[in-house]
Amino acid sequence: MIDSSNLGFTYDGQTFALRDVNVHVNAGEFVCILGGNGSGKSTFAKHINALLAPDEGSMTVDGSDTRDQQALYLIRSTAGMVFQNPDDQLVASLVEDDVAFGPENLGIEPSEIAARVTRSLAEVGLMGFEKHETHALSGGQKQRVAIAGVLAMEPKILILDEASSMLDPRGRKGLIRVCRELHETGLTIVMITHFMEEAAEADRVIVLEEGHVALEGTPGEVLVRTDVLARLNLEVPFACDFSVQLQDLGVDVVPCVHESALIEQLRKAAPAAFPCADGYTVADSATDDGGVLAANGVEAAGVDGDARTADGAVAEHAEREGTPAVCTVAPQKLPPLPRTSVASGTPLIEFDHVSYTYDAAMAKRQQKALKRGKAVTDVQAERAKWGNDPDELWAVRDVSFAVMEGEFLGIAGHTGSGKSTLIQHMNALVRPTMGRVLVDGKDIADKAAAAQARSLVGVVFQYPEHQLFAATVFDDVAFGPRNMGLSEDEVRARVEESLSQVGLSFDDVQEKSPFELSGGQQRRVAFAGVLAMRPRVLVLDEPAAGLDPAARRDFLGMISDLHKQGLTVVMVSHSMDDLARLTDRVLIMKEGEMFCVGTPAEVFIHADELNAIGLGQPCPQRMARKLRDAGMPLDMSVLYDEASLAHEVAARMAAAGSAPAGGEGGAR
Amino acid sequence: MNGAFSFGSYCPGDSPLHRMDPRAKLLLGCAFIAAVLCAQGFAALGVVAVFVLAFYVISRVPPSKAAKSLAPLLFISLFASLLNLFVVQDGATLVQLGFIRISEGGVRQCLFIGARLVLMMMGMSLITMTTMTLDLTEAFERLLSPFSRIGLPAHELGMIMGIALRFMPQFATELVTIRRAQISRGASAAGSPAKSVRMLVSLLVPLFASAFRHAETLSAAMDARCYHGKVGRTRMHPLRFAPRDGVAAVVIALLFVCIFAVNALV
Repeated sequence: MIDSSNLGFTYDGQTFALRDVNVHVNAGEFVCILGGNGSGKSTFAKHINALLAPDEGSMTVDGSDTRDQQALYLIRSTAGMVFQNPDDQLVASLVEDDVAFGPENLGIEPSEIAARVTRSLAEVGLMGFEKHETHALSGGQKQRVAIAGVLAMEPKILILDEASSMLDPRGRKGLIRVCRELHETGLTIVMITHFMEEAAEADRVIVLEEGHVALEGTPGEVLVRTDVLARLNLEVPFACDFSVQLQDLGVDVVPCVHESALIEQLRKAAPAAFPCADGYTVADSATDDGGVLAANGVEAAGVDGDARTADGAVAEHAEREGTPAVCTVAPQKLPPLPRTSVASGTPLIEFDHVSYTYDAAMAKRQQKALKRGKAVTDVQAERAKWGNDPDELWAVRDVSFAVMEGEFLGIAGHTGSGKSTLIQHMNALVRPTMGRVLVDGKDIADKAAAAQARSLVGVVFQYPEHQLFAATVFDDVAFGPRNMGLSEDEVRARVEESLSQVGLSFDDVQEKSPFELSGGQQRRVAFAGVLAMRPRVLVLDEPAAGLDPAARRDFLGMISDLHKQGLTVVMVSHSMDDLARLTDRVLIMKEGEMFCVGTPAEVFIHADELNAIGLGQPCPQRMARKLRDAGMPLDMSVLYDEASLAHEVAARMAAAGSAPAGGEGGAR
Repeated sequence: MNGAFSFGSYCPGDSPLHRMDPRAKLLLGCAFIAAVLCAQGFAALGVVAVFVLAFYVISRVPPSKAAKSLAPLLFISLFASLLNLFVVQDGATLVQLGFIRISEGGVRQCLFIGARLVLMMMGMSLITMTTMTLDLTEAFERLLSPFSRIGLPAHELGMIMGIALRFMPQFATELVTIRRAQISRGASAAGSPAKSVRMLVSLLVPLFASAFRHAETLSAAMDARCYHGKVGRTRMHPLRFAPRDGVAAVVIALLFVCIFAVNALV
């Protein structure tokens, strides 16, 4: 279907973005192309649908050479492409017109176009969205409209050029599901990404490095090459990384991509470590196993009371000879999910029953009611009334908590759960419709207090580099301090200081235009612009969004350092792993309300609640739960990180008398 | 934040006005403006008002939504009519404050112009409220196409208009974000002129940068979907004149007759 032989391409005639690329994709394959920034993966994608033509070698798509001008539109309708940014690839204001755009260009009959539009929208799960306005859709929906627009051209190949990188986890999941379903209908899919969970779904993975193919094979072959992937600044799937850690601790496992496969390996290697496995019978070697298990319960490192009961249960079963005992893991009582804020310390920002609505008319009515001096009980009654209001009038509803001096508070929740609105209260960009926000003890309803809140609390928006504007980096960073009316000497000192805080060299960048810098550097400059105002609280809205894994790590490291230097940090993030690793406390928003707030250990052990609202758990905790479901009696009331889980599992495996697992053993 | 942009935005529906051919709507819209300009007194404007209200009733656009999209336009007409209040010097003086003199004629003119502008805008925004932007641009393009023989790029102009309309709500949202970000960095429109200018620059530069960024991907996305100009392009909903367009033309003609009759009588 896609054949590139010795493909070479250069943008400037000197350095090759692609060189000697030989890639063959068969009809009906699901291929994932991985690579860091600048690896040439997007350039390659653009060759498949003839947006770019090779300078060397050739590219053939479904039998047509991409340099053949005659076949141009044939190729582009055969290989449809979805781009990275959901906001700038939709052409029309209405969904149906946008989906129709491709077929219209191909000169299809009107009645056929209408049929195709309906069909394509159904295929991406957007039935009945024909008359919706494109700008009002969520990012994930926009990307699916873009896919429908491609499908309406009846392509044989679907190319996704980092189409999921700007989506939240829910949008990403929906996108992957659509891709998988389309693949099952026989569509060839080429997905360019830096998310490993997506790569694990593919039939074949191709890793590009500096314009050539570095690795190629099934996900199981490629994704376990932790050494190469690390060099390329790519992350490996959690199961791979975890199995490597286990190896280092002496557990004999082969790295694999899927968590379930890893668990299967562990179970085969040491069945005794999974005494409660479904279908595990103790009939064969009942007494032996029972004995080992009983000993386990007492001796294995870090084993809790619950494990003992579970093990004990098996031992009990074992005594009843002959009956195949199927042991269930005893349900473990978890401490309740912390619903209210109970942190100690000095509160810097306090939310007192804050509600906010974008409906200004409603807000005014409300304020009038308050001015007329309604009793508190009336307000509460009204609040209850609105609480039942189903039309999502409230962006934020009755939220009370406090940000403590010096803490690192994480905020999680779906897009539209009110996170962004919530943090904009922190420096008085928006004011509560009801309730109060106190910053450093002063109500931001007061104008002077609001101005003070702005200098005290620095808010960094999502994609802050999109707000750069000045001619030089110096001027951009100096914008804040100058607005504060500081002297030029002081401004200069602050610019120097803040640029060094974000890891940029003052002398190198100060004279440059911010638009010359790379994306990651631009984001650092934008950060510096906020730090230059010397805020005591730094509020970050998804600071790592859209970055590749390496840049992401650097960035989060920088934020963690700033926190260690004494800055109070509030960070909105979609990554439960980042939150578990970095924060002191986590607040979870759900549909405008505060779902819970507590330490990561208190919050993230509640798998059922988190899954119910679709957020999920950090990877190690999810793995621990899967292990427990598979029969390893792990304590679920503690929060594991990767290392502690690896130690725990390794200890149990060792205690269970882990033996080399036959044919499957022998690490590469 | 979706409320940030509501002027003339499309209001889905299935009324006779929605189903009219957009070309007919555009042409009759022009005729409507001419008719309103022909009205010479309040009585004639009253006739226009009756027609406009009837159109709104037929269109079944919810009044709340209509009011929302008209609000910014009313502001403009208010400004224009106030200008008249001070400029037109006619008849008896009502108020004299230094060099400012408000005359009876001025007040009259101010009210008349204001009413006329409001009616005109109400009529025209009804077109944008009942017509999808792509249909509007298509109509625009088709109406201009006779001029393409003398070198007017009618198709391209239509496409440009369509894309501009598609991105307007997006830029409105982005502007809100940029503004909030810069306010967080201490920018404010109040204060010294230098500070205001700095604020303005800090808003406009990122907005333009974003426009260029969008333009780059958009053009690639359009290429990828086989866009190659007008040649060989079809439409999902081809434009066809229907009897109801003829009815609409008769209604507008009736409006003219009424206005001239009232003009002559009063």
